Amino acid sequence: MRRGVTIGLALLALLVPGLASSLACAQDELRVWHAYRGREEAALVEAARAFEASAPGVHVVLVAQPFGAYASKLGSAIPTGNGPDLFIDTHDRVAAYQRAGLVASVASGPLEARIAPEHWGAFRVAGEVYGVPLSLKGAALYVNLDRVAAPPETLEDIEALRLPDGVFPLAMEAESAYWTAPLFAAYGRGLLDDEGGWGLTGEPAERALTHLARLVERGVVPEESTGALVGQLFSDGRAATAISGPWLAAELPEALRWQVVPLPRVEGAGGAPMRPYVTVEGAYVSAEARAPEAALRFARYLATGPGALLRARRGRQVVTDREAWSSLGSDGFLARFREAAEGGVITPTHENMSVVYVPADRAIRKVMRGTASPAEALAEGAHRFEDLTRPLPDPVDPSWGVAALGALSLLLVVWMTARLRDPEMRVAIRRSMPAYRYVAHAALAVGLLVILPLAVGGATSFFAGRGTDMHFVGLANYVDILTARGGDLLGHGSFWLTLLVTVLWTVLNVALHVVIGVSLALVLHRPYLRLKGVYRVLLILPWAVPNYVTALAWKGMFHRQFGAVNAILGGFGIEPVSWFSHWATAFGANVATNVWLGFPFMMVVTLGALTAIPKDLYEAAAVDGATAWQRFWKITAPLLAPSLAPAVAMGSVWTFNMFNVVFLVSGGEPDGGTEILVSEAYRWAFTRGNQYGYGAAYAVLIFVILAITTRLTARLTGPSEARR
Amino acid sequence: MRRGGAEALAHVALVAAVAFALYPVLWVVSLALSPTDAPSPSALPLPTDPSTVHFAEVLGTRDADGAWLFGRQLFNSVMIATATSLVAIAIATPAAYALARFRFVGAEAGTKALLATQMFPGVAAAIPLYILLDALHLLDSATGLVLVYATTAVPFAIFQLRGAFEGIPRELEEAAMVDGATRFGAFVRVVLPAARPALAITGLFAFMTAWNEFILAATFLSSEESYTLPVVLQRYVGEYDAQWGAFAAGAILVSVPVMALFYALQRNLVGGLTAGGVKG
Amino acid sequence: MASLTLRGLRKRLGENEILRGIDLDVEDGAFVVLVGPSGCGKSTLLRTIAGLETPDAGEVRIGDVDVTERPPRERDVAMVFQSYALYPHLSVGENLAFGLKLRKEPASVIEARVAEVAGMLGLDDLLERYPRQLSGGQRQRVAMGRAIARRPRLFLFDEPLSNLDAALRTEVRVEIKRLHARLASTMVYVTHDQVEAMTLADQLVVLNRGEVEQAGPPLEVYHRPASRFVAAFMGSPAMNFLEVAIEGGEVVADGVRLDAPALDDAPARALLGVRPHDVVEAEDGGLEMTVDVVEAMGFEAYAHGRVGEARFVARVPGERAAGLARGDVLRLAVDRESLHLFDLETERAIR
Repeated sequence: MRRGVTIGLALLALLVPGLASSLACAQDELRVWHAYRGREEAALVEAARAFEASAPGVHVVLVAQPFGAYASKLGSAIPTGNGPDLFIDTHDRVAAYQRAGLVASVASGPLEARIAPEHWGAFRVAGEVYGVPLSLKGAALYVNLDRVAAPPETLEDIEALRLPDGVFPLAMEAESAYWTAPLFAAYGRGLLDDEGGWGLTGEPAERALTHLARLVERGVVPEESTGALVGQLFSDGRAATAISGPWLAAELPEALRWQVVPLPRVEGAGGAPMRPYVTVEGAYVSAEARAPEAALRFARYLATGPGALLRARRGRQVVTDREAWSSLGSDGFLARFREAAEGGVITPTHENMSVVYVPADRAIRKVMRGTASPAEALAEGAHRFEDLTRPLPDPVDPSWGVAALGALSLLLVVWMTARLRDPEMRVAIRRSMPAYRYVAHAALAVGLLVILPLAVGGATSFFAGRGTDMHFVGLANYVDILTARGGDLLGHGSFWLTLLVTVLWTVLNVALHVVIGVSLALVLHRPYLRLKGVYRVLLILPWAVPNYVTALAWKGMFHRQFGAVNAILGGFGIEPVSWFSHWATAFGANVATNVWLGFPFMMVVTLGALTAIPKDLYEAAAVDGATAWQRFWKITAPLLAPSLAPAVAMGSVWTFNMFNVVFLVSGGEPDGGTEILVSEAYRWAFTRGNQYGYGAAYAVLIFVILAITTRLTARLTGPSEARR
Repeated sequence: MRRGGAEALAHVALVAAVAFALYPVLWVVSLALSPTDAPSPSALPLPTDPSTVHFAEVLGTRDADGAWLFGRQLFNSVMIATATSLVAIAIATPAAYALARFRFVGAEAGTKALLATQMFPGVAAAIPLYILLDALHLLDSATGLVLVYATTAVPFAIFQLRGAFEGIPRELEEAAMVDGATRFGAFVRVVLPAARPALAITGLFAFMTAWNEFILAATFLSSEESYTLPVVLQRYVGEYDAQWGAFAAGAILVSVPVMALFYALQRNLVGGLTAGGVKG
Repeated sequence: MASLTLRGLRKRLGENEILRGIDLDVEDGAFVVLVGPSGCGKSTLLRTIAGLETPDAGEVRIGDVDVTERPPRERDVAMVFQSYALYPHLSVGENLAFGLKLRKEPASVIEARVAEVAGMLGLDDLLERYPRQLSGGQRQRVAMGRAIARRPRLFLFDEPLSNLDAALRTEVRVEIKRLHARLASTMVYVTHDQVEAMTLADQLVVLNRGEVEQAGPPLEVYHRPASRFVAAFMGSPAMNFLEVAIEGGEVVADGVRLDAPALDDAPARALLGVRPHDVVEAEDGGLEMTVDVVEAMGFEAYAHGRVGEARFVARVPGERAAGLARGDVLRLAVDRESLHLFDLETERAIR
């Protein structure tokens, strides 16, 4: 057995060093992380090369990170010394980074005057500045000059545009709080108020929302827009105007005649302008930087002087350096964005900002889909926001936790020694020795790398906090979850309601997996079927494509206006369905996706099991006069059941925890109703202010539920298993 | 006549099922072949103005020094996934054999623990795992990633292989032992070859675990030369916008090797998937 | 080639005591058949000899060596399994060579040995095939060839013929006998089939519930069964049993006095065993049997019926079958040498 392991490790040793060596970082390198792509990345690369030329001895290593993993990666890499020296990110995370101790303060010093005070201010926490402002990201209005003669002055002008069929007056992501914030701002409301509380309050917010709903209702803006759709509509000339950021310019075709202007005014709001949220991108020096001096020098180089010009010209960034603009003035496109940004609102850095989007998005969607009046939706949003930002449970004296842990370990030790004293046990253990040589390394590997992290993760459920700043709270998280935080036990978003949805989700999916999988296997199992191999390969396909890809494809297919499903229904004369606005249809979309993903597994298991059923049983039954239907229920089904049972058990567990589909397809829409327990755990841990402890408590509860259910099922089906 | 009718019916059902199975995939293909980035409203997944520009973009990715980045990243993915499946099999196989053949103290508890790992959502483990790997100095290396993937794949691999080993008659090993093999020798020379279909399938699953994983890879790997393809794919989805065309093209490129493996192993798939008598 | 000695072998599996102290001596070159009903422990005993099971107590010696604690590979035995246990991933040739390769024999030796065995068993044309491509009979030959190629000190056979059809079984049985003559090796053979047991064995060992009921040359076991169990197990159709009284040295069955050998200290009642073949129709006297069914086999016929309350089977000449009908009464005389008496309590033979 040693040999097997040795061979494996030797192979690994052969394969890996080649990779590992290329990953090692030399000490004199300046490691810079960013999430830029395309033009912006190219500009950054060029700026780095230019910096190296001006500062001999420094080698800048740029690492492009996937945006989706950026923040969490920084959070885990920097404290362990694996992070960058410098990283580029938006200002709105500064508070979180500062609190987690990821960033070092930077003296504004020589650049003070070249960058506007409000941009420095965006990076200020408790009087210290933690980042060098580089550029501004904000929305402006793109105008298709073939559709509109002159840029419209007001939103109402856009609404009044007379355009051919299939051309929208305005493309914008009307369902996203970020993109609709300018409209709220025009009506005098921000997502947060000055104290960091829920900002969409009162009559102005309602009027803004009513206005927004009107835009969709009258077909001024497309439904269920995404960033890609906005860009596409404008590129294709199917939108006369679009609200988007500078990145859109890179995608526009040569032939399109377009112009950028600041966002229009809103007559309904007394002529006040729409004010976009402006995000300031800055360079942060890591708290663990190995070369903080060089990092700061590079940050300053990027912020001003040649770096700024490169970023503006190559990367089309709206740079913060005032002096750069003296030479950039001629670039009308960027200048318009700068103008738009200056008329905007710098996104508040309050930590509640990361929490406010979800309830705000939901409130907006509810109104657009006509399921709530603006006042109701906003009140609900406010309520949900309170829920997410509610004060953490008070710290509890950890001594009882330690005592409980101690008592538990003591009990375990006592029990173990008692068992070891038993002579029969000793004999049994001695007899087990040969087996232990086969399982030792698996036990070690799984114990260390799977079970230990899970156990530690589970233990964090006794702590509360946001990010890594946690304190012991005992069972408070569990009490909160199980009592629905004092609300209605089956109320919206409560653990128990989510559990119900999860159970329904699991049962429905597994039942459909089995029905479809078994049916197809039976058809494929026909002895003289032509093209059997081809069918089998094609039917396994959903299994072979990564599920995060196909889940996104399914989400696209369920799009209200541009999805293939509605296009097919349209072919039968059925009105388009707004899939994600009703619980049943959204849940159905999730189920359809997951059934698609999961049936091949059941089909293959069934095909394997069918080959094990002796043919003479069917012949005997046929002789006895059984119909095909009877043969299935009297022979196939009972003989398949034992081989399918483990697959069904495993499939149920997997489906219960099938995070990707729910997260990527419905995303919990409508209104969080289609979340299952595991996606809820994920949301608490990662999108609701990083409350890891709360998320971990969900994870532990999921585990407990599954463990108990499996036990019970095993006990109930026990006798039938014994018959085999 | 009646048999012909049933056959036709079977084909109708299968064609319908194939259409259901292929439709979303065709959408991905169509998106990848359309030079623009957003879907057009149509029931038929046909690319508008087909072009291979997205494929060229993804395949032709080069780093600042002009080296062929995509090739490098493809190599990383292949190596990491292959190493994962080898390590997972090396770890899981003897353990699965012991569970299938020996009675020993702790077998039941061990099986339950393995089952438990499948039930506990991984959400909670990511951060402790990161800290642990850092302590082991395995962070930011393919070795660490391979170990994590392999151990993640091990519990299911053990169930899967235990089922396969239980299906192999004991007499085979006994014959080998009488013929002069040690217990371990019999396991290696007779049981393993007899379990080849199941080993291939288990290896395929472990390979897929590593091949499709992105969250840990994105967290662990810190340079573009070391990225695996799913990480590269995620790079096409940005904060404000996404290059869906390139994403789709990349997705197809990522899927092709797995599809090829499925195709090559499809015979084994039917016999080799025991789903391993997952009894607690 | 070697002798085999078993001393006090005991084995329990959970609650069941499978072997309850087995003692056995097998001479060098002998053909020993272990026979008994299923569950009697014969397979476990064979597996203990092979080293596949470890006894709880007792000793296994092959030749002069105590191998009780040795693993199978150090015992130099070869075994033919009921399921043949051919290695599915190896060709016939590789199957034959497997054991030799494990013992690191030189390639030339292996080649020669495989060729020799293939020739002996008529496998020459099959060497390249895989087990799944063979018929049942061919598989069985390969399994035997694999054992022979090794030239072990001891051959073990675990019901090697039970998966073959009747005609083939007879053929292979004879072949095994021939092989034994040719190889002159010690062989231990397990079966539940008494025909195989009778025809193959130099020494027959009847096992029952983990104990040796009787061991000896087959004809002796047949003619002088040591217990009711052995008497009933050996012979087909099975021996008839009647409860009888013993009065003054004579056996009284169903009111009929039978001529019996002198019995001195016999109990008052005993169990009489008579083989169906050991009765002849008598003019008068003898046992009265009421016929129920007659099976005509051609050369001979079996009449099934009752003597008193007990079931009874009698062999009659083939031509007699036509004259018998249900309800007829047969008078049966028994030769005194063919009477077997067993103690009612212990069921051991009374001699």
